[in-house]
Amino acid sequence: MKTCLNVLMAVLAFVAVAGSNAHCVVGARFFPATLSVDDPCVADELSFPTIASFKNGDDPSTRELDMAAEFSKRITDNFGISIGSAWTQLNPPGGSNVHGFQNLEASFKYQFLTEPARELVMSGALDVEFGHSGSGAVGAESFSVFTPTLFVGQGFGGLPDNTRTARPFALTGQIGYAIPSKSWTTSIDPDSGDTTKELNPQFLTYGGSLQYSMPYLRSNVVDLDLPGFFNHLIPIVEFQFQTPVANYHGSGIGTTGFVNPGVIWIGKYFQVGLEAIIPINRASGTSVGVLAQLHFYLDDLFPNSLGKPIFGNASASAKLALGN
Amino acid sequence: MRIVRVLGSAAALVLFGNVAGAHAFLDEADPRVGSTVRAAPREVTLRFTQDLEPDFSSVAITDASGQRVDAGKPGVSGNVMRVPLRPIGAGNYRVTWRVLSTDTHTTEGTFTFGVAAP
Repeated sequence: MKTCLNVLMAVLAFVAVAGSNAHCVVGARFFPATLSVDDPCVADELSFPTIASFKNGDDPSTRELDMAAEFSKRITDNFGISIGSAWTQLNPPGGSNVHGFQNLEASFKYQFLTEPARELVMSGALDVEFGHSGSGAVGAESFSVFTPTLFVGQGFGGLPDNTRTARPFALTGQIGYAIPSKSWTTSIDPDSGDTTKELNPQFLTYGGSLQYSMPYLRSNVVDLDLPGFFNHLIPIVEFQFQTPVANYHGSGIGTTGFVNPGVIWIGKYFQVGLEAIIPINRASGTSVGVLAQLHFYLDDLFPNSLGKPIFGNASASAKLALGN
Repeated sequence: MRIVRVLGSAAALVLFGNVAGAHAFLDEADPRVGSTVRAAPREVTLRFTQDLEPDFSSVAITDASGQRVDAGKPGVSGNVMRVPLRPIGAGNYRVTWRVLSTDTHTTEGTFTFGVAAP
């Protein structure tokens, strides 16, 4: 009985000491959930809704409205799954509106490096877009796309004290390689009956964010006694690009992408983000759009149920309890 | 449409379900983060955004040479942690804290304050 009690106490003590970081807290650094690229952590969170309005790169350019949702769940402390989709409405000039869902997307992500003292975090993921799960009328493809992706987050808190106003800066980055399940897609022209073959390129996808954390400034550098609202802000610039690297010759496809300056307001249980969408070239879009998101921290809202991993760190607990 | 129902249910759970604690972030400190005070403080007070677990929350205050200048175990009451200081003189001091909120989220941070020469 005494042994059981000792083991139980050791397990409880380990759980208490180890704690849990859940949404992206690495040492003194909090990386917010970014709007257009993914943050470098595994977390229990819900983005609902994410709304984007912009004129896309079609010819002629079409006003596009996207409303998306994404749910992320930790399976273990360091491994999580995300699932999400978007509803799209297209308003082509002079044409009638079309709308429908984009393909369902999922991400299987493992956070393999967390160094609190260096404010450094890295993750690897396999992102999957499931072909045929959305509406072709809004551009959802008939094939699946698999994108192994590497994520990194680095806070600048380790800079020397004489550069202290730079310490609230942080960078996140991601790079992936998108591989379609079919190298080409064939279609038949309904008028002529001709068969056309369209290449499905492989893309290098890359992006990230540069952010300046006012909460970090107040808690770790200098408290300027600003009004409370400003102490919750993280001004941010996100950038996201994709470049065809294989199976694209003769298609006329080039690099596309967006630069999104904006701001994120951080609360206890949720955050709100608002960004401009600036296309980098004509193929990306024809005017500045807007992107907004409401994002919930499920680990803080429901720490004892929906917001904790399905499987905890049992092996480590047992190891400690056995005194190894 | 199933995904819509699932996401709708999750959103309803988030919006209307029971809520609990959150990460304990440093809300304010005395001496103020990054400040320089005229009189040497007798203690450092840290106020967090959430209640703390006393047994697993700690703070260390060091001078410019890295020597500890805090005296004794910090006292924790709710979301406030206090630690007494030994008599200190003019100079720069670093506060390093690590706390566990009551819902088992760990957070940590560090900041400096200065004491002006008389």
